[in-house]
Amino acid sequence: MIDLVTAEMMKLKHTKMYGLVLLGAIPANLVTLSSFLPRVTPEGAPAGIDLQDMFYRQGMTMTILAPFIFALMIGYIVSREYQERTINQLFAYPIPRVRILLAKLATALLLIAVTSALSCTSVVAAALVAAFKQSIDFETILSGLRMNLLACLLSFGTVPLAAAISMVGRSVIPSTVLGAFAALVTLIGEMGHGARGFLFPWLMPYWPVRELGQGLAPIDAEAYAMPGLIILSLTFLASLVFCMIYYEKAEIHSGS
Amino acid sequence: MSFILRTDRLTKRYGDKTVVDSVNMTIRAGDIYGFLGQNGAGKTTTLRMLTGLIHPSAGEIELFGAALQGNKGKALARIGAIIEYPGFYLNLNATDNLEIHRRLMGMGNKECIDEALATVGLQDAKYQKVKNYSLGMKQRLGIARALLHRPELLILDEPTNGLDPGGIKEMRQLFADLARKRGITFLISSHLLSEVEQLASKIGIVHQGRLLEEIDSEALRQKTRHCLELKVTNERKAAFILERELGTTDYVVAGSGGLRLYAYINEPERVSAALSAGGVGVREMRLSGDSLEDYFLKLTGGEQRD
Repeated sequence: MIDLVTAEMMKLKHTKMYGLVLLGAIPANLVTLSSFLPRVTPEGAPAGIDLQDMFYRQGMTMTILAPFIFALMIGYIVSREYQERTINQLFAYPIPRVRILLAKLATALLLIAVTSALSCTSVVAAALVAAFKQSIDFETILSGLRMNLLACLLSFGTVPLAAAISMVGRSVIPSTVLGAFAALVTLIGEMGHGARGFLFPWLMPYWPVRELGQGLAPIDAEAYAMPGLIILSLTFLASLVFCMIYYEKAEIHSGS
Repeated sequence: MSFILRTDRLTKRYGDKTVVDSVNMTIRAGDIYGFLGQNGAGKTTTLRMLTGLIHPSAGEIELFGAALQGNKGKALARIGAIIEYPGFYLNLNATDNLEIHRRLMGMGNKECIDEALATVGLQDAKYQKVKNYSLGMKQRLGIARALLHRPELLILDEPTNGLDPGGIKEMRQLFADLARKRGITFLISSHLLSEVEQLASKIGIVHQGRLLEEIDSEALRQKTRHCLELKVTNERKAAFILERELGTTDYVVAGSGGLRLYAYINEPERVSAALSAGGVGVREMRLSGDSLEDYFLKLTGGEQRD
C-alpha cells in the first residue's frame, strides 16, 4: 500500500496540486493574521493576541474553502487517469482495483492533512510570537489543533462522493461544480452561525470550529451534531461503496 | 508444447451486437503471434479481455495454464501490455513514469529502469518530460514499460503506430531479438499485412469478431507461394523428369495427375518442353498462388481493408 500511495504522490510532481494546497492554506493564514491588527478591550486598554479567536477564524475560513479545494483535489486525482488515458495501464496492473482506489483516497487524505496543517501555520507562529509578550494558554493551542484534526477528518467524509462523480463523469468538472456549490452553501451556512447547517455534510467540519468558538458566540451545536455525523457517515459509506463497486466493475473501452 | 494463452469460445457482446464471437485462440511459448484484422474487427476488444480491462460476455481465458478468472493478479504480473495507446503521466519524465510502474509491479531493483530505456534506445531522453515526446518515442517508452518487469508474454496492440519506416524496422528487430534472447512470447495485433507477415511465427486472422483462421507462418507461406499447377499424364514420371532434366526438387505431387512446381514459374515453356521430351503429356498448366493480401481478402470475403 505504501508503494501505491508513493506512486500516487509521484504522479502529482510538476502539477498544480501543490499550488492548490497553498490556495487552500493561504486564505486561512491571511484571515488569521488580521488578529495582529491593533485591538483594544471594552475598557480601552490594548488587547493581546487572542489565540482562540485566531483558531476560530482559521477554522471558519478553512471549512468554507475545503469543499471546493478538496473536491478539486480528488477530482483531479481520479479523473486524470481517464483524461490522460493512463487508466488502461492502471487497471492492467496485478493489483486489486479497490486497493488502487484506496491509495487515491489516502493520497487525498494526505493532501487534506497537509493543507489543514499549513492553514494553521500563522496561528502557531502567532502563538510563538505571543510567548514573548504574554503567558501562553496551552489548552487553547491544544484545542485549536484538535479542532483542525477533527475538521480535517470530517472534511474527508465527502471526498468519496466527489471521487464518485469524477469517475462517472471521467472529468474533474463535475466534482469542481459540486465543490463550488458546496462551498457556497457552506459560506451561507457559516454566515448564519447556526448549527442546523451541520445536517449538510460539507458543513459538518464547521462543528469543531463552532465548538471552539462556543466562548465567542454560543450555539446549541450538540442538538445537530449527532444527526449531522450520521448523515456524513452515511454519505461517506454510500459513496465509498459506490466507488469500490464502480472501480471493480468498470470496463475500460476505447477513449476511456 | 505448453500453451501460454488459450481462449475458449471467447465472446463479447454489447446489447445485440457481438463484437468478439467465439474466439478460440492458442498461443504457445515462444510464439510471435500476429493478430491480424481490419480496423474494427475485434482485435482490441479481444486484447482488452485478455488483460482484464473488460469482462467477457461468454467463454474462458486461460493464461499460463490457469483460468484468468480467479488468477488475474498472478497472470497479469507475468504480462506486459500496451493496449491501444501508451498512456503516460505527461507531467513526468520517462524515468519517473517507469519508477511508478516499478513500484506498482513491486519490483525491488531500480536498475531495471535504465536497462529498459536502453533496450528501446531512450536512455538519452530519460529526463525529458513525456509531454515533449513524439508518438514514436511514446510507443518506445510504452514498450520499455511493458518490458520493465521481465514479462513472459507481451501483448502489444498496433505497436508500430506512429513510427516512421526506420522505427518500424528497428521495432521489428527488437521484437525478434526479445523473442530469441529472452524467450518472450508475443501477441501483436495489427491491421498491416506486411508487418505481420515479416514478424509473426503464427498468425490469427480475425474478421467481424470471428477468428477465421490460425495458421503457422510457414504454412501460410506455402499457401500463398506462387507455383505452376500442372495436370500431367504421369506424375511420377513427371517428377523424375523435373529432378533429372530441370534439376529441381521444389515441387509437390498433389495426386490424380496433379503436381505443383515452385521453381521455373517464369519459364513454363521450358517445363512443358522437358516433360514432352520425356514422354509426359501436359493436360493443363497454370500459374497459381495468392499473395498474402489476396489470401486475406479471399478469407475475409473480399472486402477492402481500411
